[in-house]
This record gives sequence, C-alpha cells and structure tokens, in this order.
Amino acid sequence: MRGRPLLYVDYNKEQSLFPTIAQKVLLAIGALIAISVPFGLVPGFKFLASPGWLQLLVIALIFMIGAAGLNIVTGMAGQISLGHAFFMGIGAYTTAALSGSSTEALWGMELPMWFGVIVGGLVAAGLGILIAPTAVRVRGLYLAIVTLGLVFIGQHLFRNWNQVAGIAELGRNWGPFQLSLWDIDGPTLDLATDGEWFGFFLPGQGKAYLFMLVVAALFLLLAKNLARTRIGRSFAAIRDRDIAAEVMGVNEAKAKTQAFAISSFYAGVAGGLYATFLGFLPPEQWSLFLSVQFIAIVLIGGAGTVIGVVLGTLFVQLLPRLVENFTGFLSDQIADGTWLAPIADIVIKTGSGDFGVLSLDAQGAGLSIFQANTVLYGLLIAVFLIFEPLGLYGIWLKVRNYWKGWPFTY
Amino acid sequence: MTATIDQPLPSAAAQGYPTVASRVRDWAERTPDGVVLREKDYGIWQEWTWSQLWDDVLSAAHALLALDVAVGDVVSIHSEDRPEWIVLDLATVAIRGITTGLYPTNPTAEVEYLLNDSGAKIHIAEDQEQVDKVLELPADTFPSLTTIVYVEPRGVRSYSDPRLMYWEDFMQLGREQREAKSGAVEALMAAAEPDDIMTLVYTSGTTGPPKGAMLTNANATFAIDKIINSTGRIAGDRRPNPDDQILTYLPLCHVAERIFSTWTMVSSGCVLNFAEAIETVQLNLREVQPTLFFAVPRIWERIHAGIVIKLNDATWIKRQVAKIGLGLAQYIGKARVANGGNHTAMSRLAYFVGNPLFFRALKERVGLRRARWTASGAAAIAPEVLEFFMGLGIPVYELYGMTENVAVATTNFHGRVKLGTVGEPYPDIGFRLDPETNEIQTKHPGVFKGYWNKPEKTAETFTEDGWLKTGDVGEWVDETHVKIVDRMKDIIITSGGKNISPSEIENSLKASPFIKEAMVIGDGRKFVSALVGIELDTVGDWATRRGIPFTTYRDLGEKPEVIDLVQKVVTATNEKFATVEQIKKFRMIPKELDHEDGELTATQKLKRSSMVEMFGDLVESMY
Repeated sequence: MRGRPLLYVDYNKEQSLFPTIAQKVLLAIGALIAISVPFGLVPGFKFLASPGWLQLLVIALIFMIGAAGLNIVTGMAGQISLGHAFFMGIGAYTTAALSGSSTEALWGMELPMWFGVIVGGLVAAGLGILIAPTAVRVRGLYLAIVTLGLVFIGQHLFRNWNQVAGIAELGRNWGPFQLSLWDIDGPTLDLATDGEWFGFFLPGQGKAYLFMLVVAALFLLLAKNLARTRIGRSFAAIRDRDIAAEVMGVNEAKAKTQAFAISSFYAGVAGGLYATFLGFLPPEQWSLFLSVQFIAIVLIGGAGTVIGVVLGTLFVQLLPRLVENFTGFLSDQIADGTWLAPIADIVIKTGSGDFGVLSLDAQGAGLSIFQANTVLYGLLIAVFLIFEPLGLYGIWLKVRNYWKGWPFTY
Repeated sequence: MTATIDQPLPSAAAQGYPTVASRVRDWAERTPDGVVLREKDYGIWQEWTWSQLWDDVLSAAHALLALDVAVGDVVSIHSEDRPEWIVLDLATVAIRGITTGLYPTNPTAEVEYLLNDSGAKIHIAEDQEQVDKVLELPADTFPSLTTIVYVEPRGVRSYSDPRLMYWEDFMQLGREQREAKSGAVEALMAAAEPDDIMTLVYTSGTTGPPKGAMLTNANATFAIDKIINSTGRIAGDRRPNPDDQILTYLPLCHVAERIFSTWTMVSSGCVLNFAEAIETVQLNLREVQPTLFFAVPRIWERIHAGIVIKLNDATWIKRQVAKIGLGLAQYIGKARVANGGNHTAMSRLAYFVGNPLFFRALKERVGLRRARWTASGAAAIAPEVLEFFMGLGIPVYELYGMTENVAVATTNFHGRVKLGTVGEPYPDIGFRLDPETNEIQTKHPGVFKGYWNKPEKTAETFTEDGWLKTGDVGEWVDETHVKIVDRMKDIIITSGGKNISPSEIENSLKASPFIKEAMVIGDGRKFVSALVGIELDTVGDWATRRGIPFTTYRDLGEKPEVIDLVQKVVTATNEKFATVEQIKKFRMIPKELDHEDGELTATQKLKRSSMVEMFGDLVESMY
C-alpha cells in the first residue's frame, strides 16, 4: 500500500534487504561514488585516485570481507573470537601453497589466484568447524581465551613451517594478483600493473580496487542476506539466549558450527586476497594485533550489522592515516613556529632529547605512530563498549530513532 | 480502480432486492481481484480479494442450508472481529436468514439469555473461551440450538459434544453442497424481499435485559443511502471508494461498526483491515493509517491520553516543540470551532507552520495521518477532546443515531460543524423534538421493524402517530443543529426540584486524561455528588513521576495526592456549571469497571442501577 510503510502484505517485502526507496537511492549513490573513485571524477574525492590512497582503499575492502566474517560469528552469533587472524593466516598460506611460485625451499603450485583463495577459504572453514565444538562447551571470556590460543598455535606453526610460510621473520612471496582462468602465464585480467580500462588510464591499484569492490560487495551482500535466512535467525537466537534458542528448537551445536565455518571462510578468503595483494608478508603478520583490529572494526562499526562493518573498516583503516597526517601537521607547526607550536611540541617528539608523547623516529621514549594507533584502538574499543555498544551504526540508529519517534521519544 | 457503480451487471436479470450479500456478489463480478479484507496473521496482513470473499460466502451459505437453516432462522456469532464474522454474516443474509452478534465479553448468563431470546439455530463460537460459555450449561438449556461452529480449534478438538463442528469442516460441507445443489443460494438471493429481517442487533441494556432490534434489508439500504452516501458529509464530497481503508476493531454486533465497516465496504468497495485485538488497535492504526475512522468516545479519550503521556515522557527539546505544537493546535482548534470546522486565514497559517513541525508526525504516530473522515458516536464526548483533534487537522465529526433507526438521525456535515452538538438531521428524514418533553423522535424508512418477540416493548417505543421515541432529550442550537441533553431516564431531579443532565457533567470530568469513569448522582438528593474512577495508565504515570509508590488500582485511587488531583479536575468542572449542578462531594471507585462484573454494558456504558447497587455504601457515605 502506498504511503503505508508499516503495512506489510507479504513476507518478501517485510524482509527485503533494502526496504525503503530512500535506502535504495542511497545505496545507488554510494555505489556510483565508490565505482568512480579510481577515475577521479567526483569533485571532492579526486585525491583518492592516487595510488597511495587506492592501496589503502583496496586493503580496506579486503578487511571488510574479513570483518564481515568476524561479524557473523561475533556480531550475529555472539561468539567472541580472537582467533580471526589465525583463520586469515590459514587462508593466506593455503593460497600461497596453491598459487605461489615454487622454489627449492618453498611449496607453490602456480595455480590461478581465485582457486587458491577459494580453497584457502574452504580450508579455513574446515578448521573453523573443528574449533566450533569448543564454542558449544565454553562461553564468553573462556571462548575468547580458547580462540586466543589459536593465534599462538598459528604463530608457532607459520614460523616453523618454512616450506609454506618462508623463513621465519622473513616470510615469502605470494602469486601474482591477477585473474586468469587456469593458465597463470596469460592473465585474463591483470590487476597488478598499470594500464588502460574503459578508456581510462588506471594504476594497478585502481584496477585492484575495482575488482575488490565487486568481490567485497558480493561478500557483504551475502552476509546481509544471511541475517534473514533460517541460519541467520538461528544465530541471532543463539546470541540472545542459547538455552532459550534450544528450547525453541534451534540446534545450538549446529548453529555455532555453521557460524564458525562461514566466518572462517570469510577470514580465509580475506587472508588469501590480502596476502596476494601485498605480495610479500612475514609470518608475524597473523598476530593478535590483527585479531584485535578486527574486533575493533566490528565493535566500533556496530556488532551484528553489515553497514557497521563498512563504517568500522573505513574508520579503523583510515585512522592510522589520520594520525599520520595529524603528526605531520603538528611537526609542520613546529617547523613554521606558529602559535600551535608549543602545544605541538608537547605532543610530538622531534629529536632524541625532546619530550613528546608521539615520536616521529622509532627511537627512545615516546610512542611510534604504530604504537599510538594500537593505543587508540584499545581506547576506542573501551569507549565504544562503554558508551555506544552498537558502535558507529548505533550512533546513526540513535539519530534516526530520534527523528523516527518525533514528536514522541518512544 | 474506482469502478462505475451504475454499470448494469450480467447477473442483474435475476436479482432480488439488493442485500448486503448481493452487493458483495456485484463487487466480486466487477472487481474480482480487488482487495477487500486484510487480516494480520503471522506478522503480515493477509489479503482477501472480492472473489475469494464471495467464494467463501457462497460456501458458507450452502453449509448453512445443509444444516437446515431456513428463511427467517437465526444464526448467532460470538467472536471478535475477523473475516469469518463477515463471511457468516453475509452468508446468512444471502439465504434470507437472520444474523445476531454477541459481544466477546458477554458472560455465560448473557449468552444463555441472548441465544434463547433470539432462538439461534446455529451458533459460531470463536474459540475455547466462547465455546465453554455454551457448553457450561446443560444441552437442554438451548432448545433451538443445533450446531456450534468453532473457528479456533485450540483446546476444543478434544471436546466430544455432538453439536460441535470445526469451521474448516463447516466450509468443506458447504463446498460439497455447492456442487450437489448449485443454484440454491442464488435462488434464495433472487427471492430476497426488502422486508426480510437481516439482523437482530441487541440493545446494550443499560436498564433491563437486552432487546433484539429487528433490522431489515430496506433499513440497511436506507442507512447506506443516507449515511454512507450522503452528500456533504466528507470534505470535497468524495464518497467512500475502493481506495479507502478502514480499521475494523469495534464489535461488529454493534450497529455503528456494522454501518461503518461492513455496510461501507459492501456499498463503496473500500478495504476492511481487521485489528488483531483491542490491545493492538493503536499499533494497527499506525500500520493501516485508515482513511475513514469511526470511534466511540472512549477510544478518542484513550488516544488523547496516550498522546499526553507520551509527550510528557519525551526529551526536553521534544517537550518544548510539543508545547509550541499543542499551543498552535489549541489556537487552530478554537479558530475552527468558531468557524464551523473550517480554517480561517490565520488558522491555516498556524497549520502551515505546525504541520511539518509537529502535527504530521504526531498524526502518523497515532495512525490518523491519512484520515479524511473520522467520527465519534454511540455516546457523548467532551467537546474539548474533539477540539484537540480538530486542532491537529484531523477532520472529526460527531454524529448521533441509535440501533432502532439504523443510526440515521443527525451528523455534523463538513464545513458546518458545531462543537457540542451532534449536528444536523440528515436531509429529507422525519426528525422532530417532542414539543412537551423535547424527546428526539424520528420517522423514516430506516426505523426498525420492532423488537424480536417483544411486541409490547415495540409498541412502547413508538408514538401514537408512528414516530420512533429515541429516549434522548435534545434541544435545537441555532435552529439547525441538535444538542443531546441526556437520556430521558437518566435526567436527575434533585430534592430541590432542579433538572440536571448528568452526562454533560460526567463528560466534562472524563475530558481530563486522568479520569476514566464518572457517575454523577443526585436524584432525589440534596446536592450532586459523583463516583469517580481514575485512568490507571495516566494516573500511574503521574504518580511515578512524583515518586508516589502504589500497588493496585484501589491503592492508587486512595492516595491523598491522587484524591487532590481528582479534586482539581472536579473543581475545574464545577466552574463550568451552575451552583446546583456542581459536584459537592465525590468518592473514588475502588475497582476498574468491567462488563463481566456487570457494572458496564458490552459497549462500556455505565449500568447506573447496578452501580448504585454495588457501590451503595460509597454513595450513602457522601450524604
């Protein structure tokens, strides 16, 4: 019925992914802007077309896939997992073993990237299924510790299994970031080198960006769709109260296994893409810090929602860049001796004898930018958990409900 | 999708007198795929088309024939509003039977009385609760009853009473009969007479036992012509049409709901949306956003009180906006009241400011944003409440009528609204005030045939020259509009010999969101007093805000702070009335009044006699 948004006459309409016209229009505009980014066409977003920014955005898109996976197990099914980095590592090294080039010391079957990534996802999913039974036994903090254990097992494994992960602390190369049907020598789509697409000259990162945009959109849509399926509803039931869910006939063990499997598949795929895109990574990459980053994305963005994953990833991924720009801005102030210089001087440490919270060189006291970011993640997670458990999406929700409830409050 | 109603129809050749059933058949031929009913089930509004509805009506009619329902037999329906109610009602009329509805709240004793008084042959009981009310009594209590059809099988399946029949089995029987005896229902429809009794509508019985008013097909046609299709009733004179949405929530056994939902549907083709339950009416209103909405004063008062509470609970900024908005609404309301319900230039400007800021969102929230005609009737309403809604831009009209004249008496027409009156008599009907008693009397083709099996009561209802005595005292306002003073028998004569109309004082009290019930006493007494019942929601909210702890309704009502609060309302009311009419003392009613306990009728009207009986001590304590 026109003009009666609450009058649902069939289920399809009630649970459609984008129920309102406003949402569809916003989505279309968002998609158009996202597509146009590498072409540098939209005023105000032109700076994003540089290789540096595009590189950052491609990583953000890959992280969105990984975060969407963690969101499934933590946000939708309520199972805290700190082991996300482990599953990403599994995906990455499976991909390496399948699509990397082989040398005397390294395994590599030189198969196409897509095959490696998908199998990587499946292997991770398989391991997820193995882990799931512990989630049926332990809950909350204990589950977090169990999954934390995974990260350390993974670190040990990756460091010592040199045929797959390369020499410890050094790492290995992945296969080329390109799409080909089966023959690795003649890429159907070369995503790594600069070239002309649709009459536009694009840097390799630009091509990678467009490819990742499609892949990420696909994975995010699947995640969003999952929430309205029978499986997704069973996740929500388990999250809200597992005993009540079982009474309603939800098979707890099955639901948790499904959650871990799907989540790990996402993680494996993200790991494979991430490593292949960067081309070279040491085993230390798959550490607790990576897991915490994903937890931060999910919690800051808004647990349980796909839009929260998008917001959270952009926020967390662009934060280091922001901190970097901010310190750059402050050191410029000192150099120019403006009125901000005294304050800037306290915040950043320029020389070895200088006092400052942030240090631009990596020596002596003071936090490096990387460390400052870590501290910021921790702070933000704590702040969001305390003040806005629904994350950035929750803030939007509050704003929206304020107007939706107008002129009442509830 | 407005269809041309004047088109001759294929089946027109073999038609009898147009009944509510034949009108549905006509719609099913004209727009078979048009939506006509919606019922919320499993979280969504399931739709019925005209052809589906007519198909079910035909099956149900055949089933009734198979159960030996003959012309003039009574079928009783004891159920909340639901599509089956309408299906069975129409099916009964199609085979020239008589439908009578029972209120879901009717207790066992009243069910016994109503079934035996009407002599119902087939009884539809919605669920286990209603089935039990019949099965509680021995089978020979109901000599005429042969079959009890139940719609909700939960809890009833295990019953072994041979009279029980499940709705689906009933419909299956009908479908089988349809094949075996096709044309039987059509033949009866073709034989329909204007004088056929189509329904018994039982009066609520504030005094004696309920009486079944016999309404005929001709009565229904007259009500449709005069009320639903009257000229000038709705803004822009847009008659009800298939695009209109109605929320069906008041009991269908009441004549008002029958007219404003079923009969409006069959005559105009609009869509009926069934509310899930009386508790969800406000939610369903929001979902359906009806365009035509009829409510009894109690509902209007509830919506009003709900708005007041929720605005009080809002955050600071919203409260400030609400202050401005309500201020504007008050101004607009007053301006429109003074101008026959029309906007003045200034009120239009105020509305233009207030609408985007406040009114539109508020109307959306209460579900009346798309309402193009709303009405209050069936009891008197405080003018303040109507003025409030007018100020929000909701076109609300008070109207008046009664079962015995199929509600054809007076209404406020668009643009000629006079607040505090029930409007003007419909054009070209017999309407007069008795020169001596000022009793309202009507005479027109809508006047009923009489009370079922009660010729002496029927005779009492008519004057010697054949006018229907409504029992309501009215007076002319500006010679065009009618104001209802009170029910004739309710008028109080104090020991000082003064005539007082209690309902006016009661409504003034009830206009406060804190007061739910009020009964003014004073017949043969030295002064006027009142029994007052508080509205639990609002007073509870008020008490919580002030940190006054309370446990039950009674406890809350006896708090000194609450009594002070009520005293303020009483004092404010007293200022509006002459000294003899002022309430000198009042007492709190210690319980929420209820139909099943006998203090209220099924339509939530006070039964004064039983009130006096129940709370006699309280009354005496004041004198």
